[in-house]
Amino acid sequence: MRIFDPHIHMTSRTTDDYEAMFSVGVRALVEPAFWLGQPRTSVASFTDYFDSLIGWERFRAAQFGIRHHCTIALNPKEANDPRCREVLDVLPRYLAKDGVVAVGEVGYDSMTPEEDAVLAKQLALAIEHELPALVHTPHRDKLAGTRRTLDVVDESGLPPGRVLIDHLNEPTVAVVADSGCWMGFSIYPDTKMDEQRMVAILREYGTDRMIVNSAADWGRSDPLKTYKTGLAMLEAGFDESDVDKVLWQNPVEFYGQGDRLVLDELPGFTASGETFAGNSVLRGGGA
Amino acid sequence: MTTFHLGYGTNGFANHRLDDALRLIADLGYTAVALTIDHHHLDPYGEHVRAETDRVAGLLGRLGLRCVVETGARFLLDPTRKHHPTLVCDEPERRIDFLCRAVRIAAELDADCVSFWSGIRPSTVDPEVAWQRMRTGVASVLAEATARGVRLGLEPEPGMFVERLADALRLHTDLDAPEPLGITLDVGHCVAVEPMNAAACIREAAGLLVNVQLDDMRPGVHEHLEFGEGELNLPATLAALTEVGYSGIAAVELPRHSHAAPTVAARAIGALRAALVPDPAQRAEEREVEWVTQVDHPWLVDAERRVRADPGTIATLFPAVGRKVGRAALRPESDQQGLVHGTVDDLARTRLLTVLAEVLDGDTLAEEVSRLYRYGDDAERRGVLRGLPALPATIAQTGLEIVKDALRANDIRLVAGAMGEFAARNLDAHTWRHGVLKCLFVGVPLAAVADLDRRADSELLRMVADYAQERRAAGRDVPADAERLLEVRS
Repeated sequence: MRIFDPHIHMTSRTTDDYEAMFSVGVRALVEPAFWLGQPRTSVASFTDYFDSLIGWERFRAAQFGIRHHCTIALNPKEANDPRCREVLDVLPRYLAKDGVVAVGEVGYDSMTPEEDAVLAKQLALAIEHELPALVHTPHRDKLAGTRRTLDVVDESGLPPGRVLIDHLNEPTVAVVADSGCWMGFSIYPDTKMDEQRMVAILREYGTDRMIVNSAADWGRSDPLKTYKTGLAMLEAGFDESDVDKVLWQNPVEFYGQGDRLVLDELPGFTASGETFAGNSVLRGGGA
Repeated sequence: MTTFHLGYGTNGFANHRLDDALRLIADLGYTAVALTIDHHHLDPYGEHVRAETDRVAGLLGRLGLRCVVETGARFLLDPTRKHHPTLVCDEPERRIDFLCRAVRIAAELDADCVSFWSGIRPSTVDPEVAWQRMRTGVASVLAEATARGVRLGLEPEPGMFVERLADALRLHTDLDAPEPLGITLDVGHCVAVEPMNAAACIREAAGLLVNVQLDDMRPGVHEHLEFGEGELNLPATLAALTEVGYSGIAAVELPRHSHAAPTVAARAIGALRAALVPDPAQRAEEREVEWVTQVDHPWLVDAERRVRADPGTIATLFPAVGRKVGRAALRPESDQQGLVHGTVDDLARTRLLTVLAEVLDGDTLAEEVSRLYRYGDDAERRGVLRGLPALPATIAQTGLEIVKDALRANDIRLVAGAMGEFAARNLDAHTWRHGVLKCLFVGVPLAAVADLDRRADSELLRMVADYAQERRAAGRDVPADAERLLEVRS
């Protein structure tokens, strides 16, 4: 099984996770810029975070044979804080970078006027930078939020084929399927979706425009949920090509719409799990 | 297909018995050997030299090794003075006699040639006198060589009287181009002292080449290095040998690597094979290099034009470089990750920075360079670091801040990029030493550290020795680069 995890927050994960992911077939991933649990209070902490997504985290993933990409945006939750909104001014610098495959995560949290403005502005940035957009749907009032999101997307002029609406579930999948946007599902241990429900949705809606991710972060989550969904698909009678389509081809097609994906094998990488100087990551600390 | 034969020099196996060395060299897949006759390797003054020569000839035949005879033994003629006497000293007779013995041995081994050099001209000997001594000495040896049907290869040697290829060719002409007299060319010497690169030297010497020595070197430093540690373009050099139809022996010359001879010889043939038979991917990478350096990649040319017209455009062009011109390592055969020589995109970014420096001045330039680094991803930051030497001295302060930032990073490509020429010229001793130690620590080859020989001081050696001690105490390997640094300097 070759796996592209299209949504996972590796900044919050350990090297054990990278090793486990590689061992089940994860070879590429996308880390969307999001909030970090602790609210930020200045633009500088955003830029340090973005730098880490295009620098250190990419380098760290490469140590484990995994191609790391990211999406860059001001997330909806922090869009409500005027101290953070100025980050919109530095986004163009980051949206020009290698490995930045989309604008995201954008979308709604509490559906405030500030969130409206910031979402519209960032969809315009996606058009300007010829990138797709990754749109997060809210945890609360989800169906209404999803509908409103689709309206804003429609108004933005960004073609639906360049938009991935994420964190969908049974009540929200139908409207997105009708819109022509890509459908993203986050498979979680307790909340959001699970493997069996995901398989049922794939049976009902087919595999076109379907994208499955682990969305693993600092909360209760599991970076192997993509792999486990693949297993559940096989058990349910899907064949290997269906699994490959959902877990590899679809995310590659979606994120490949910019020209920023790099999927060739990492030079000199061997899966032996070699460490350097007894360190699991080249960090130059005490050996 | 190569027209020539890859060999290894026995002076790089000085701690091995000759027979063991020959077997190891053959086992590794070399088909030739450069045999330095010496007190322990087929001693030309030995009591049973003829029988020994016969025996070695038999062994070479059984192992399928062609050979050349090298005469660079250090203390064979004089146990107290290295290489003494020489052809240009006051009493060259013993050298001439030695070379004639070498000719006789070469005849019996059916060697391609006897290789020799002039020696260092003593300060008390006038250059005119030295030239005459060369003429006379070479003529004497030529008489013996002609009689025995053996060719001679005069090797230009850094620091010696006949130092460059042009000197050797002049002597050849001066002696009326005698048929048995040819040229031995050490391609590393070309990097160290010749005004042109090794490939150009090979073309220059072409028809006269009777022997080639292979090794890497850095400009201005006569130190025989393994491939990839210096500036030699190995694929281009070997391609030039094929191009001129050279059919003799090209043997690796690493006389200071005897302590690790079997490993070094294995690495060398690996590098040679990779450089000789580039795979299609490598050829594609080479084409990319060509685009940037010679043919001028159309995107880069356009980007340079745009930066010249509007310097602000560099903010969006700089991040796009890798996508447009490629990201391949410049010398993938010896430097897969581009840690030592950089990558295609590094080179292209240096060109953009060079243009930027033409249109912006002073503080404005420093501010833009600082922003390119500040907002750069890993590749852009590396591009700035590797471009610093191309920028004017006015950005030195900004450059220092950037280099120090990179040395705090743990991305080895940034650490490697930080220790280039700019750091060698500008970084204070303390920070520079810690940069070198960090390279050892995180696995950046010391070949990436510019000017290591000049800047390495006793404090650095102490730090490296302590580091090696700490590794040993923990039962861990000491990086080979650390051992080599300590060995060369002790």
